[in-house]
Amino acid sequence: MNVLFALATGAMFAMGVFQLLRRDLIKVAMGFYILFTAINFLLLAVGAFEGEHAAYVNAANQVEGGQPSDPLVQALILTAIVISFGSYALLTALIVVASRRFRTVNTDGIDRLQR
Amino acid sequence: MNILVLGTVFLPLLGAALGLLMARNLKLQHGLGLATGTGAWLCSIGVLIANLESGPQVYRLGGWPTPFGIVLVADLLSAVFAVMSTTVVAAGILYALGCKDKVVSVPTFMPLFLCMGAGLNGALYTGDIFTMFVFIELMVIASVILVAISDNRLGLEAAIKYLLISSMGTLFLLVGIGALYATFGTLNMADIGRLLASGERPLLAQAAAVMLMCAFLLKSAVFPFHFWQPDFHTTAPTPVHSVLSSVVVKVGIYGLIRLITLMFTAEAPLIQNLLVILGVIGIFFGSLGALRTYDAKRLLAYSTFGQIGFILVGIGWGTPLALAGALVYAVNHSFIKSALLMITGAISSRTIGKTSRLSEIGGIGQKLVYTSGLYFLGGMALAGVPPMNGFISKVALIQGGIGAEGWLVLGLAVGAGMITLLYMMRTWQLIFQQEPDEYTKTKPTGDSQLAPSLLIALCIGLGLFATPLIDLASRVVTQLGEPQIYIRAVLGG
Repeated sequence: MNVLFALATGAMFAMGVFQLLRRDLIKVAMGFYILFTAINFLLLAVGAFEGEHAAYVNAANQVEGGQPSDPLVQALILTAIVISFGSYALLTALIVVASRRFRTVNTDGIDRLQR
Repeated sequence: MNILVLGTVFLPLLGAALGLLMARNLKLQHGLGLATGTGAWLCSIGVLIANLESGPQVYRLGGWPTPFGIVLVADLLSAVFAVMSTTVVAAGILYALGCKDKVVSVPTFMPLFLCMGAGLNGALYTGDIFTMFVFIELMVIASVILVAISDNRLGLEAAIKYLLISSMGTLFLLVGIGALYATFGTLNMADIGRLLASGERPLLAQAAAVMLMCAFLLKSAVFPFHFWQPDFHTTAPTPVHSVLSSVVVKVGIYGLIRLITLMFTAEAPLIQNLLVILGVIGIFFGSLGALRTYDAKRLLAYSTFGQIGFILVGIGWGTPLALAGALVYAVNHSFIKSALLMITGAISSRTIGKTSRLSEIGGIGQKLVYTSGLYFLGGMALAGVPPMNGFISKVALIQGGIGAEGWLVLGLAVGAGMITLLYMMRTWQLIFQQEPDEYTKTKPTGDSQLAPSLLIALCIGLGLFATPLIDLASRVVTQLGEPQIYIRAVLGG
């Protein structure tokens, strides 16, 4: 399970980086999102496989059952999802404006800044 | 528990939220922006004073005990950097009030500007590495939007570029955070520092150090990660540019100092050797780039490379004297660079197309004696000529270099510093001394010069009365030398 999860995360990193280096800005945006999902998997892998059940407490402030899973990892992923989703929305909005202004989403066409 | 620490971060956020509600009344919104910006500035000064009197100030959000809750910590380093950043942000707001750019009248301009300031202060104050990521992202997203809506239509292209590149930096930061959490099970920087100092040093933590360093170098636009900076900074609106190019790039410097003095103290010599090399490359690349560029704002963006290089070299030498020199340099450079950028913006606001191309602004300022004087003083400060504060920072850094006996690097740095004088003099002559072309037309009024005047006055003041700042820097370095002070203040006991 752990090995499979690591392989899947690695494959997603590879896909994300590959897409991020494409010329088409739409594909770049998709690569951006895949990369952030890969990071979320990475953060999940830090604490997901240690515990056996959710870390709830009962009325007496005791955790029942065996080893609870790490709740902080989930909080981190939630925050990271919110931020990456915000950045993704901003990126796609910028691409829409750019496609109207430059009449293309190819990065070779959007290159008016001089060195 | 010091409420002022919270105020520095949350007053601008409050101003942003209320500013969105009063989007219809721009005057009121801008007044509120200036009020909250100034409030944050006063709070940060209060934090610095409290720090000098009674050691690091800590605010535990929600009252949670430390390794579990989020904590805002202002030790001397954070407090000094925060005073620097709130000063420049407040000056930027003041400039925006008198700015004639169309972007300033966009209803979301002031809230975004305040968000950028809040993210900046938060990243400097937080004692929790994940919260640092959140605040840095707040700053990045706000600045990307501000550049995308800039009057310069090329801003959109630069914004897309920077958003993608900075997301790579975020990736490095998050992978580093994940690796640190996997190793130590904590995100609190003081706790990580304590565990690392106790001798536990797995391979994953060292990988995390590399990742964090890449992220901070990218935020500061240091050599291998520098290419986005001139585009992104040049196309920004002037008030935003003056904040980006002076204090936003210092967040990475702050992170690097934290990394090598609090957390990875054993790996510090290795990192510092690398920083010296990167710094020297930055100094040369920045100075030569500024010499051959075509745009007055872009020239200052390139010059930021060079100045960041000087700071990195100071950190890299690593002796207390050199580190103090680097801190003095960082603070002084922020004020000088933002003042110069505001003056350049005021000049380009007098041209018809709001351009700052060197081929089109020749002779624009021939009649503007006051602006000419301000630009001259700023340029001299950047080049390090007495009695300006730039001279003090150069002297402090060179003393550090002599103490550290880095002769080769010292010679290279001083030689490259001369190039600064060359390009600042050349640009000043071009703008203010030349006869304008006969077809060059100028507008009778431009942006208000109140904010740059105040900053230049501050530069002269810091040049004439340099002792307090140098004493402060050496106290910061003394505190940095004993990470236990920080750890004890955060974790207690």
